[in-house]
Amino acid sequence: MSGSIFINIFLDGLFAAIAAIGFASISSTPRRAYVACAVTAAAGHAVRYVLMRPDLLAVSIVPATAIAALVVGVLGVLFAPSIKCPAEVCFFPALLPMVPGMYAYHALQALAMCLASPGGAGFQAAFGAFASNGLTCLFIVLAMVLGANVPVFLLKNIAFRATR
Amino acid sequence: MTLPDRAIQDIDDDAGFLAEYAAWLWGCGATCTRLERNVMRMARALGADADLLVLPGHVELAVTPAGGGAAVVAVRKMNSCGIRFDLNAALSRLSWELADGRIAPSEARVRFRKIISAPPTPAVEVVLMASVANAAFCRLFGGDLAAMITVLFATLAGLRLKQLMMGEGHDVRVAVLCAAFASATLSAGASLFGWGTTPGIALGTSVLYLIPGVPYINAVSDMLGRHYLCAFSRFMDACVLTACLTAGLTAGMFILGINSSVL
Repeated sequence: MSGSIFINIFLDGLFAAIAAIGFASISSTPRRAYVACAVTAAAGHAVRYVLMRPDLLAVSIVPATAIAALVVGVLGVLFAPSIKCPAEVCFFPALLPMVPGMYAYHALQALAMCLASPGGAGFQAAFGAFASNGLTCLFIVLAMVLGANVPVFLLKNIAFRATR
Repeated sequence: MTLPDRAIQDIDDDAGFLAEYAAWLWGCGATCTRLERNVMRMARALGADADLLVLPGHVELAVTPAGGGAAVVAVRKMNSCGIRFDLNAALSRLSWELADGRIAPSEARVRFRKIISAPPTPAVEVVLMASVANAAFCRLFGGDLAAMITVLFATLAGLRLKQLMMGEGHDVRVAVLCAAFASATLSAGASLFGWGTTPGIALGTSVLYLIPGVPYINAVSDMLGRHYLCAFSRFMDACVLTACLTAGLTAGMFILGINSSVL
């Protein structure tokens, strides 16, 4: 049981690392930053996985994302001077696997459904789905950015001098 | 010639250079906080003070010689090179090199031209890496091997289509809509032909590579830095792209007769 949990945590981190490197390439991230992005993403996503697992800590997605983003932010700031890149170059790709893309387009799909069913129960259900998905998406992004920016402001001397 | 003397003499050039630097730094995805810090640092190195007004479409920079005198205002249109972290890193490094006196102002201008003419990551490399990344992303959402393979090829086709359309000068919103449609219709094969046990996850994650994650993050970062106009502009840009993605996905599902409940 515990063995499979560790394997799952490892796999979660591994796939998050692969996702981070691939998404980093879309934004022309310097190649020297790939390893730092991968390690940061793996640590952040694995932390969120552990926090959210129902049989472990069962934390809801917003606070779990904030804590995971804090880990990502700390690692991003610490790695930044060694890869000679601004901290966000390191932690943005690491945050991308946590961006609530599905919530975002589910919210917009629900909004379109509101237009398709202008009155009655259909509208209420669609509007409920829009509000639920939209607010969840908004709060996750807020939690992510707040979590990742706290280390940037606490460790200003490192974060803003990394490229010096 | 001392540095302040040079700055007073060439204040017009300095203002233009700094405004162009700011326009490129903003365009490549830097937050407004970084923009202000870098530009102020460079202005001080040039023997001047700078006041920066960052608007969603333009940057306005008022440069005053450190010893006093009339300000020169330079306005530049924001660059739209797309998110480029390589430029962000190189431009930030340039600001420190100038601030620390490791390069002369004239050399900084030459280096700036060289940095902004650097090519982005090759398109083929991006397509391959992003496809593998999206397949890994599918696995994070609980997709099985069949779903991962479906997402890999759906991403490959969709992202290549987007690159080709962007290369031909089509609007980014149209390109995102078409790419989402292509990826959704291809990944719908998992639902239609019964590939694997998680076809809904394949369909749902096949378009996630198009989510504008960096603008969403930058929007909140700018909001925290009290740059509300830029924050709202970036947020709305991201929302519009997400709406285009949703339209492409929904159109693909509608044409193939797939119910949204599978997502």
